[in-house]
Amino acid sequence: MKKSIEVTVNGKSQSVEVDTRMVLADMLRENLRLTGTHIGCGTGSCGACTVMLDGRTVKSCSVLAADADGRSVQTVEGLSTSAVSLHPVQEAMVENQGLQCGYCTPGMVLSAVELLNKNPDPTEDEIRHGIAGNLCRCTGYHFVVTSIQAAAKSMKEGA
Amino acid sequence: MISQEFDFEAPSALPEALALLARHGDDATLLSGGMSLMPMTTLGLVQPGMIISLNHIAELDYVREDGNELRIGALTRHADVAADPLIGAHAALLAEAASLIGDVQVRNRGTIGGSIAHADPAANYLPAMLALGARLRLQSEAGERSVEAKDFVKGIMTTAIETGEMLTEIAIPKLAAGTGCSYQRLVRVEGNFAIVIAAAITEPGRKAARVGLGNVAPGPVLVDVSGHLGNGLDDAALAAIGDAAFDAAAEAASDLAGDANYRREMARVFARRAVQSATDAADAG
Repeated sequence: MKKSIEVTVNGKSQSVEVDTRMVLADMLRENLRLTGTHIGCGTGSCGACTVMLDGRTVKSCSVLAADADGRSVQTVEGLSTSAVSLHPVQEAMVENQGLQCGYCTPGMVLSAVELLNKNPDPTEDEIRHGIAGNLCRCTGYHFVVTSIQAAAKSMKEGA
Repeated sequence: MISQEFDFEAPSALPEALALLARHGDDATLLSGGMSLMPMTTLGLVQPGMIISLNHIAELDYVREDGNELRIGALTRHADVAADPLIGAHAALLAEAASLIGDVQVRNRGTIGGSIAHADPAANYLPAMLALGARLRLQSEAGERSVEAKDFVKGIMTTAIETGEMLTEIAIPKLAAGTGCSYQRLVRVEGNFAIVIAAAITEPGRKAARVGLGNVAPGPVLVDVSGHLGNGLDDAALAAIGDAAFDAAAEAASDLAGDANYRREMARVFARRAVQSATDAADAG
């Protein structure tokens, strides 16, 4: 069953025709070619597909695309304008080797952005709770935490 | 992409949703946060003929005061339940239960009504609902009724909700000043479903106490432990509270997280711990 929805993606309002069986991650990747949103487990566990829906992180494999009608979505592509002007969280991930294979990274970055938006000066414990919904099979999380600490510092200094 | 076919409706008002539900009956499945329904549909564990999304019914997303009660709309997201100032002030046990669900993304999307209606034996809210004495409002096109939380679950993932009905609101009596509460979970990995839950409330002056147990039976179990408080909360009282929880957990099931006997023993430990901690919280004021 097809349905036409109006959705704002990374600040741009657009009309998209979706199959009602599509999840939001499918729509972003297939209709809009925003392939920064990754699909890992597809069942709401791993967090690779994390995007912001109306300003809050959600797992886009577990939201129907049709349910994004009238909503605003931000993906990892919406965080920075180019590869040389990264979001401070992305910059910190690069500087501190907060990623290895990179599959979990877009979701991890969005969870870190949400955390720092709400809590600009998190403790290590708060960071670990903040990324509890994002599985990483490479880093052991340690450098991810270090990266988020560095991002918090640089965002505070930049503010 | 979900491989199975289903029809989809996304009404923007409650009467419209109830009319769809009346028309399609058991063929329709209600979708709110989708934190269980979406993975189950993706995996083919459920085959809904029609999904009715409630996510566009803004009138179901609220927390308000009504005399001595709090009224919570079924579409209120866990993160909002956890952070709501009214819930924090008058039903802190519920805020605690919400804050321990899943992870940030799950709490941002999942809803209180969805979790309760799904009635997973290991889910967080129902043990707290029993201890709090919550009432659940069920509406249909034909009318509405109210069901006590303790009478709501009929079996594993089976509830008092009849065909054509929808859980629309949760009403919770405000806790009196001096009430102690404590929410305790046995869980191996943070964010997982609990192995055992104990949600305790002690009334002001320790006149009464009750514990809602989770995941020790097909549905949540309410244990009234008021009778054990006569001589204060000494070792004998705690032992008796533990025994009451152990007895109440007689229907515990075995699974990979623990066998039935282990669950019953943990019900004993966590009930004791929850009542002790609720009493300590009340004493600390």
